[in-house]
Amino acid sequence: MRSFYLLLLKEIKEIFFSKTTALFLIILSFMIGYSFYSAVSLYSNASVSAINNPLYATGFEPNIGVFVPSFGGLFLLFSLFLPFIIIPLISLEKEQNTMSILVQIPFSFNKILLSKFIASFLFLIFVFLLETPSLIIWKIYGGHIPWTEFLLLNLGYLFYGIFIISISIFSASIFKSTASASISSILIVIISWIIDFGKDMNISPLILTISNWTTTSRLNFFEQGIFSFSSIVYFIVLFLFFIFLSRCFLDIKFRKKYILFSIITAFLGIITIFYFNFNIDLTESNRNSFPKNITNALLKTPKITIDIYMRREDSRFKDYKDSFLDKLSLIKRNVEVNFMKGKELKDKYGLFVYKINNKFQKTYSNSEEEIFPIIFKLSNIKLQKIKESDKYQGYPLIVKKARLNIISYVYYLFVPLLFLIFYFTRIKFRASKN
Amino acid sequence: MNNLLKISKIEKRYNKNTVLNDISFEIPNGSIAGIIGPNGAGKSTVLNIITGFETFNNGEILLKNEKIYSFEDKMSKFSYMPEKLDIYPEFFVKDFIYFIQKTTKYENNELLKKLNLFSVQNKKIKTLSKGYKQRLKLFLALNNNKKIVILDEPFDGFDPIQLMDILELIKSENKNKDKTFLVSIHQLYDAEKICNYYVLLNEGFVIAQGNINDLREQFNITGSLESIFIEALK
Repeated sequence: MRSFYLLLLKEIKEIFFSKTTALFLIILSFMIGYSFYSAVSLYSNASVSAINNPLYATGFEPNIGVFVPSFGGLFLLFSLFLPFIIIPLISLEKEQNTMSILVQIPFSFNKILLSKFIASFLFLIFVFLLETPSLIIWKIYGGHIPWTEFLLLNLGYLFYGIFIISISIFSASIFKSTASASISSILIVIISWIIDFGKDMNISPLILTISNWTTTSRLNFFEQGIFSFSSIVYFIVLFLFFIFLSRCFLDIKFRKKYILFSIITAFLGIITIFYFNFNIDLTESNRNSFPKNITNALLKTPKITIDIYMRREDSRFKDYKDSFLDKLSLIKRNVEVNFMKGKELKDKYGLFVYKINNKFQKTYSNSEEEIFPIIFKLSNIKLQKIKESDKYQGYPLIVKKARLNIISYVYYLFVPLLFLIFYFTRIKFRASKN
Repeated sequence: MNNLLKISKIEKRYNKNTVLNDISFEIPNGSIAGIIGPNGAGKSTVLNIITGFETFNNGEILLKNEKIYSFEDKMSKFSYMPEKLDIYPEFFVKDFIYFIQKTTKYENNELLKKLNLFSVQNKKIKTLSKGYKQRLKLFLALNNNKKIVILDEPFDGFDPIQLMDILELIKSENKNKDKTFLVSIHQLYDAEKICNYYVLLNEGFVIAQGNINDLREQFNITGSLESIFIEALK
C-alpha cells in the first residue's frame, strides 16, 4: 500500500509541478475571469429593465445567465489542452523507457494505470476549485446560487474531463511519441464536433441519430439543468472502454480478443443506455419541463399515444419537439409516439392525433396552449391554478461597474500570481537543497 | 556449475525479417555470463525477450528447468537494466533513490557508497554525466534481492578508472550475494575482464558458447577472446 502511495505521489508531483500545468492553470484563470466578467456584466445590464418588472424578471436565471457562460470554457480547455497535461504521464515513461523501472519494482500495469488516473482525477478536481472565487464574488454582489443546477453543471464538466483523461491515456498507450498521442486524442474530440456540425447542417438522418450520442450533446443535458441518467452511464461506459483499451495496449502482449470484447461490450452498453432514457429537470424555473400545475396534471394522466403525420426534418416538428415533446418526455414515461408513413402520411400531412383511454382527438396545432386542453379533456383531468408561491420569480441583479473590477483583480492578477509564486518557489526550494 | 537459465530455440521475426534464428544457450548458476557480439547481432533483443519486454515467435525460456511464461513472473525473478533508459530527468537523484528504496523495500546504503551516488544526490538526474547516469542505472539493477541480474551494455560511459570500480562491484555482488549476471557487451576487452562464461552472437545466430577454455578448445586457439571471436566469425 505504501509503495502504491509513493507511486501515486510521484504521478501527482509530475502532473502538478510541470510547466505545462502552470501554463494551463494561468490560461484557465484568464479565461474564467474574462467569461465571468462578461457574463456578470451582460446579466447586470439586462437586469436594469427587469428589476421592477416581475414578469420580465422570471427570465433571469443565474445558472444559465452567468455560470454556464462563465465555466463553459472548461469544455474547450479540457478538449484542447488537458490532453497535453495527461499524455506525458504515460508517453514520457514510454519514450524514456522508465516504464521498465516501474514494472520491475514490481508494479502491475493495473497499478501504474490506476495511479496515473487518480493523479489526473485529483488535478481535475483542483481545476474546479478555480470556480470558488467567482462563487464568492457572486455572493458578495448579492447574487443567488441555484446549487442543484450549479452542481449538476459541474458534474457534467467533471464527467467530460474524465472522458478527456481516458482518451488521453488511451492515445498515450497506443503511440510512443507525445506529439502523436496528443494529436490523436484531440482528433477524437474534433470528430465529435464534426458530427455536431453535421447535425446542425442537417446533413443526413444517420448523422442526426449519431449526434444524440456525442459527448457534446450529452454534456448539453448538464448545462441545461437536466439530470440525465443515460448521459451519466454513457460517460462511465466511455471511460471504462477507453481505460480498458489503454490497459490492453500498454501490455507487452497485444491481445486482440480483449480489444474486440471491449468494443462489442461498449457498443452494446451504449445501445442499452438508449432504452433507459431517464431524465429529470432540476432547474428551479422548470424551464425544461412545464409549470408545476401542468406537470402534476400530466403525471395523473394515463398513457398518452401520439400519432404524428409529419416528417422529422420539418421545422414545425422541430418546434413541436422542442416546446412540447422533449419536455413531456422529461416528466412522463408512458408516452408512445408513432410517426406515420406512406400514403397515410401524405394524405393527412401536418396532423397530430392524441389518444388517451380509447378516446382520441385530432389537431393541426403544434402549440402547447392547444395541446394541453386536448390531453386534459381526453383524460378527464381538471387543471389546477398555479400558486403564486410556486411560480419562479427570477433573480435579476444589478452590479455597479466599479465592483465588477474585483473579478479582474482576482482572475487576472491574484490567481495567476499565486500559481507563478507556487511554481517558482517550488523550483527555488528544490534548488536551495543543492 | 548447474544451469540456471536455458534459452531454447528462440526465434524472433519482425514481419518477414528474422532477427533471431532458433538461438539456444544456457547460463550457469552463479556465473557472470557475457552475451558478446557486434552491434546489430541481436544482443538487446535476446535480453528483452528473456525479461519479457519483447515477445517471441517460437521457442521457450526455462528457469531452473521450468518454463517461465508470465511477464509478472519474469519481473519478480529478473532484475533488468535496459540499454535505452533515460531515468526521470526532472527527478533529483535523492528523490529517485528514496522512491526506489521505499517502493522495493530494499535499502542498501553500502551499494550507494560503492556507486559514489551520495556525492550527486542533490543534483537533478538530467544534469548528471553519462557515467553517473550509468551508476544510477546500476543502482536500479542491484538494489533488490533478485538473484538474476540482466544488464544491457552497462559499461558504456565509464572511464577506465571508473570501470575498474564498477567491475569490482559486479564481481563482489556475484560472489557475496550469489547473484548470476547476464551482461551484454560489445567491447571484448571489457568482457574478458569480468565474464567467466560467454555466448557469442552474430547476425541473430549463436556461434559459440562456454567458458574461455571451452572456447579455446573449440576453436583450437590459445589467444584472447578477441581472436576466438574473429575465428568464430569465419
